[in-house]
Amino acid sequence: MASIEAEGLSKRFGSLTAVDRLSFEVGTGEIFGLLGPNGSGKTTTVRLLSCLIAPSEGSARVAGFDILDDPLKVREAVGVLTENPGIYDRLSALENMEFFAEAYGLSVKAERHSRIRELLEFFDLWERRDDKTGTFSKGMRQKLAIAKAVVHRPEVLFLDEPSAGLDPKAAKDIRDLMERMSRQEKHTIVFCTHNLEEAERLCSRVMIIRKGAALATGSIEDLRRKLHGAPELEIQLEEVYDGLLKATAKLEDVKSVYERTRGILIYNLDDPEARTPDVVKSLIQAGGRIRSVNILRPTLEDAYLELTKERST
Amino acid sequence: MRIDRVLLVFRKDWLEVSRNWEIMVPIIIVPLIFSVVLPSMMLLIPGGTGGGNTEFGSLLANLPASVQVELVGLTEGQTIMYIMLVYVFAPFFLLIPAMASSVIASDSFAGEKERKTIEGLLATPLSDGELLVGKIMVAFVPSMIVTLLSFTVYTTLVDALSLETFNRFILPTINWVLIIFLLAPATAVTGIALTVVVSARVKGFREAQQLSVLIIVPIMGLVFGQMFGLLLLIPIVILILFAIFVVVDVIILKIGLDMFEREEILSKIR
Repeated sequence: MASIEAEGLSKRFGSLTAVDRLSFEVGTGEIFGLLGPNGSGKTTTVRLLSCLIAPSEGSARVAGFDILDDPLKVREAVGVLTENPGIYDRLSALENMEFFAEAYGLSVKAERHSRIRELLEFFDLWERRDDKTGTFSKGMRQKLAIAKAVVHRPEVLFLDEPSAGLDPKAAKDIRDLMERMSRQEKHTIVFCTHNLEEAERLCSRVMIIRKGAALATGSIEDLRRKLHGAPELEIQLEEVYDGLLKATAKLEDVKSVYERTRGILIYNLDDPEARTPDVVKSLIQAGGRIRSVNILRPTLEDAYLELTKERST
Repeated sequence: MRIDRVLLVFRKDWLEVSRNWEIMVPIIIVPLIFSVVLPSMMLLIPGGTGGGNTEFGSLLANLPASVQVELVGLTEGQTIMYIMLVYVFAPFFLLIPAMASSVIASDSFAGEKERKTIEGLLATPLSDGELLVGKIMVAFVPSMIVTLLSFTVYTTLVDALSLETFNRFILPTINWVLIIFLLAPATAVTGIALTVVVSARVKGFREAQQLSVLIIVPIMGLVFGQMFGLLLLIPIVILILFAIFVVVDVIILKIGLDMFEREEILSKIR
């Protein structure tokens, strides 16, 4: 079942088209990445889906509510971490959390306090709960901003660059929290990021956008295959000679083989994981002395760069 | 609209405002000057009335008969003191709600944009109405409390220090009561309404504050009008001014409400 269904979503500011006919679905419990260069329309897309602004065209349903007909219901059901932490500097961490918890409808005091304590302890902020947030470091402010975005256990969570400015430990805490919210608690998470490694690690699917339009949508594996084909097998030998190439070129499923640089053979195979033992065995039988074996996978970064490069040239 | 949510916005904004000394200092200092310093100078310093009466010539000549009656039996010095304390200083007390409300409203509306907290606030399920009323309340309530406190302090101080001179309590008068309970709230609303309109168009607290203090111009007109006897704040004048303020408030507030729209606000974030 989809938590987000967008159909032809567009947003224009005068002559500028910030979001251009985006259509996509995000399933319940899925972590969906919105990737794109600065100014590509990621933040506008999140603003549209969280009912901060209205679309110029198209429609969307978020958590079962139409963004045009039920904006208040949508806002109740979603949590938003905006580009800026949006923390009130003159209020303490506890006062900030109290305000947002009540604004998001946690009206029962005991329940509210217990949830706030749980989150502040999770983010190591409980000891600083009475300090004004103006005294907090960038990382602490970001953690508090995430805590306020999830305080009401939103069905759908929008996170704009959640790990920006965080130290490795805090960034890992947030990744763990996202994974827990997605897998155990079935929250749907849409997150905008430039951190492709993080997207690769967390997202089940991503959408790469540029100038407001979707360039590609799918799982990380789909994108890799679409752009680079299957992974390749790389074998480094002490020495390469014709006999080795001939012995392995005849093997089943080997589409092609070439010597990329001195001593390194590259095999193009349908299923490198399954065929690697056969290739290695043939090389050894033909007298090859193997130094290393690697399966080369194009990264999400490769796909991202290729996509954005193609369209910009 | 839910009142508990309106009060939530009010509480949050008040906590912020009350901890901001850039806001609190003028709100405390200006009323102190009008309610304590000015009357004390007038009543405690010998020659505090200015020592001359030429400026008051036109004022005294233009006083209506109803006011002339109040001056029967007073010496020249007492007349000047009475006119100053009961009439000339009165419009200053309209500056207090106008200044306080516009300063607080500037921080509450434009300040949230400048500090980049507005997007997180607009992302909450609080309705436009709840946000707007909460923010108007946080500008209106403290400015009226300050005005009432200033009026109480001024009245008490003037009566205590002038009892020996006039042998009676000269304040409050019906004019003062009408000014404080009719004109002052109307002026506070003008300050807020003007700020809401200005805040929708500017990106920062200071820009909003600089533009919204335009409200002070007509009030200064009242001060000088009073000083030179051109427009004395007697009940009928106060009621006419109140009616004018109400009409102006309704018009500016309507424009401000139409501008208080999530998308419009977000488009102005720096």
